[in-house]
Amino acid sequence: MRKIEGEQVLMRIFLGERDRWHNRNLTDVLVELFKKEGFAGATALHGTQGFGPNSVNIHKDSILRLSEDLPVIIEVVDSEERIQAILPKLDEMIGSGLITLEKVRVIRYGASREC
Amino acid sequence: MTLLGIALAGAAGTLARYGLSGLMHRLLGAAFPWGTLTVNLIGCCLLGFLLELSRQTGWVSPDFRTIAGIGFLGGFTTFSTFGVETYRAFETGDWLAATLNLLANVAGGLLLVAAGSTLARFLAQFVRLIGQTGGGS
Repeated sequence: MRKIEGEQVLMRIFLGERDRWHNRNLTDVLVELFKKEGFAGATALHGTQGFGPNSVNIHKDSILRLSEDLPVIIEVVDSEERIQAILPKLDEMIGSGLITLEKVRVIRYGASREC
Repeated sequence: MTLLGIALAGAAGTLARYGLSGLMHRLLGAAFPWGTLTVNLIGCCLLGFLLELSRQTGWVSPDFRTIAGIGFLGGFTTFSTFGVETYRAFETGDWLAATLNLLANVAGGLLLVAAGSTLARFLAQFVRLIGQTGGGS
């Protein structure tokens, strides 16, 4: 079991829930890709409101008509090399999405217990 | 045939609601459920007008009343969205928006039904008056 510790990179990918890749939901495709590529982990979070470069209005879940494309953030923590290696592939897949990278210090990675 | 009419008119009403509520949010922003309020108020006015016109005159056939009232306006207005959006506003502590939305939809809706009905009554009376005047000359 690969274990990550110490200084790593947190990658955040900001998407819309309607973003697609080859007729599939992009969030599903990306989380599956990270799993397949052996990343330490990935978490998709649902946002309650937000907007992006192509948004005519704010998307928010409290107004039905504006809740069509709510924000999704995928967070991945892994080594700088592994993150950098996947970036060209992500660039190809993520149309108007945003990717940010920041250094983080991993203080615990529960890889010993498999659920 | 009436069922087909209701189905088609319902689809048209739903699309009209989708378009108009989207337009309202583009014009007025996302801070308040303007889209739902607008379609509900317009729907109240139109249904008040239609039913009163049907009561006052013989111009509205029962089929048209059913297709327009249940089909088109049923799809155009949305009570459930009003309920959910008001509940969400209360839930997030936005009491002012929730209360305003409640009042605007319920009291505003009743007022617009009254306005639509009054307009239909005036129209029916006006046409009757024109008819009498025309008949007398």
